[in-house]
Amino acid sequence: MAVQAQDNSGRLKGVTVVKPVIYGNISRYFGKKREEDGHTHQWTVYVKPYRNEDMSAYVKKVNFKLHDSYPNPNRVVTKPPYEVTETGWGEFEIIIKIYFNDPMERPVTIYHLLKLFQSEADVMLGKKALVVEYYDEMVFQDPTTIMNSLLANTTSLGIGPYKHETDFEEKKERTKNKINNAHSKIRYEIDQMNEKLKRAKDSIAKMKKEIAKLEEGVTIDADSTL
Amino acid sequence: MASSMDVRDILELDTGQMQNDFVTKESLMYDGKKKKVKKPDASIKRPEGMHRELWGLLHTDSRYQTDAAPIIPSDTKQGYKQMKAKIGSSRVRPWKWMPFTNAARKDGAVFYHWGRVADEGKDYPFARFNKSVDIPVFSDLEYQQHLHDDNWTRQETDHLFELCRRFDLRFIIVHDRWDREKYKEHSVEDLKERYYNICNTLAKVRAPQGAEPKIKAFDAEHERRRKSQLTKLFDRTQEQVEEEEFLIGELKKIELRKKEREKKQQDLQKLITAADTNADNRKAERKNTKKKLQAREIKDGGILAAPEPGGIKFPDFKASGTSLRSQRMKLPATIGQKKTKAIEQVLEELGLEFNPMPTDEIVNTFNMLRQDIVLLYELKLAMSTCEYELQTLKHRHDQLIANRNGGSSLSSYLQSSVVKEPDTPTISMDDGAGESSQDGCAMSPAKRKLLMDTIDVVGTASTPSKKRKAAIEQSQVLKKIKQKM
Repeated sequence: MAVQAQDNSGRLKGVTVVKPVIYGNISRYFGKKREEDGHTHQWTVYVKPYRNEDMSAYVKKVNFKLHDSYPNPNRVVTKPPYEVTETGWGEFEIIIKIYFNDPMERPVTIYHLLKLFQSEADVMLGKKALVVEYYDEMVFQDPTTIMNSLLANTTSLGIGPYKHETDFEEKKERTKNKINNAHSKIRYEIDQMNEKLKRAKDSIAKMKKEIAKLEEGVTIDADSTL
Repeated sequence: MASSMDVRDILELDTGQMQNDFVTKESLMYDGKKKKVKKPDASIKRPEGMHRELWGLLHTDSRYQTDAAPIIPSDTKQGYKQMKAKIGSSRVRPWKWMPFTNAARKDGAVFYHWGRVADEGKDYPFARFNKSVDIPVFSDLEYQQHLHDDNWTRQETDHLFELCRRFDLRFIIVHDRWDREKYKEHSVEDLKERYYNICNTLAKVRAPQGAEPKIKAFDAEHERRRKSQLTKLFDRTQEQVEEEEFLIGELKKIELRKKEREKKQQDLQKLITAADTNADNRKAERKNTKKKLQAREIKDGGILAAPEPGGIKFPDFKASGTSLRSQRMKLPATIGQKKTKAIEQVLEELGLEFNPMPTDEIVNTFNMLRQDIVLLYELKLAMSTCEYELQTLKHRHDQLIANRNGGSSLSSYLQSSVVKEPDTPTISMDDGAGESSQDGCAMSPAKRKLLMDTIDVVGTASTPSKKRKAAIEQSQVLKKIKQKM
């Protein structure tokens, strides 16, 4: 946020606001196939803020596009919690579209593959609900003035500890370390490969010289025999 | 119509009216009459109250079914108005067996042919095709003054001109009819040269003052060379023709391979510079932690100026608006399948997710990591090219040694020392390698499985023998070409 300048488009240049979100689904196995429609699971797909805040300050609505076989597959949720609960028997891709209060900002689209099945025995028995959730960040590059103020003025969603099923802070640290380790490994191999390449190039150059020398010798020999 | 006329003709009835009605092109192809425009039959109208659709069905069914409008235009208007010639519809023009003289002949011979009565007494039409050539005539004085040539006698020249006149400058025939008993033998080119020289000299001599004479161009030397070349080309044996074709094909192949290799070498050079800047970068970082801050500023300036190593170009997200952070990790579509595969192989080997948690920092480091993976992949690719080249060179070297029959002991010593090195890459643990293991890799470098081995560069493992064979062939062909030249 080095330079804050507003041009005639009403956008704050140089401002970037980041809103981390968690999206995913939980699912619970009935324990058996339901007689009337063959459904086996109850699931809930959701979008929630990573930090404890009321997203309705800047989010106008969230549109969950389900599989076409569901009645009214376009489910619109206008206030938190942004979630849809359904029953079903199959996994499919859910398109989550987040619309903002300022129509100048384009909606953000998230694709989530609904997850129902897991091999663990206890999940099959319906003892424990399955949770699959992901972290992502909504990045508002040069937001409009209105959007910026909406993004800044959020209230928390009530008191008490705000926790997610997955510990993302820990995951973040783990991922960072892994990537850094991997990177240094790769760097090392690049260096090594480079050395090897240079050596190979040197050998090629030497070889070429040697061949040139030999060729000269051959032509001289040929001349002398003539 | 035709049949009734034939009958009349046979019975010689009523010929007066048809007397002048001979067949002409026009009468054959075009009858001259305008076609009658058929008026649409409007007598039946649609009864009141009947639906149009129903009427349409009835209407076409009852009356116009056999005469529906054509789908494609049937009247072309231009060209032959009447597509079928009416042969035999009128009387033929009379022909007559008559004498004629040919104006092109000087002897006035009379021949006979069938001709149309209408053409009687006209000139023989083909006489105009008889073209004669103007052969210049020279006097004794002119010959002595200008036309003397040591290779030609006056008699020979006269004989040449006579033959030229007789055969209308058909020099091949002139050469054939040349009187070899009386005169010296001359080639076709000699004959032509003599004739055109004389023509040109005469034109120059006789041209009025100031006027540019018309010169006939004939390059006898060129003609002789051309014919000798054609003769050589014609006299080649089948084996020679085949060998030439084969050599040309091989030459093309060699050039293609050479170009490819040169291109690969350029890429390699680029990669090495890219990898060098990377290495400098790292060394600089290490120094900074140990040594003074002063050096850092200087080094940093240099590094910033250096070009970022190639690999993946991730799109910049500079545009205003909303986006998801995870979008910035997406591999651009320009990256090939092979590279994508290599990245996935290495990531899997490293135990990393293909789509890690997209925080700002992770996205950046993850993208850089993948850039370096691609760089490693490209380096490996370059290495395989190098190995191949070395193989080729080695083979060439072996051959040269063999050619020298023993050769000098020095070169064979060099050969073994040079070739051994890349074939058995002993990973020497000098400066860079040893230190980086302290940076973050816990495993000892000797035990560690190399990540680059998980990348397979297509066609490295299986083909060296094939390539080697190709190299042998290539060097032999080159030798052959050299011998030819």
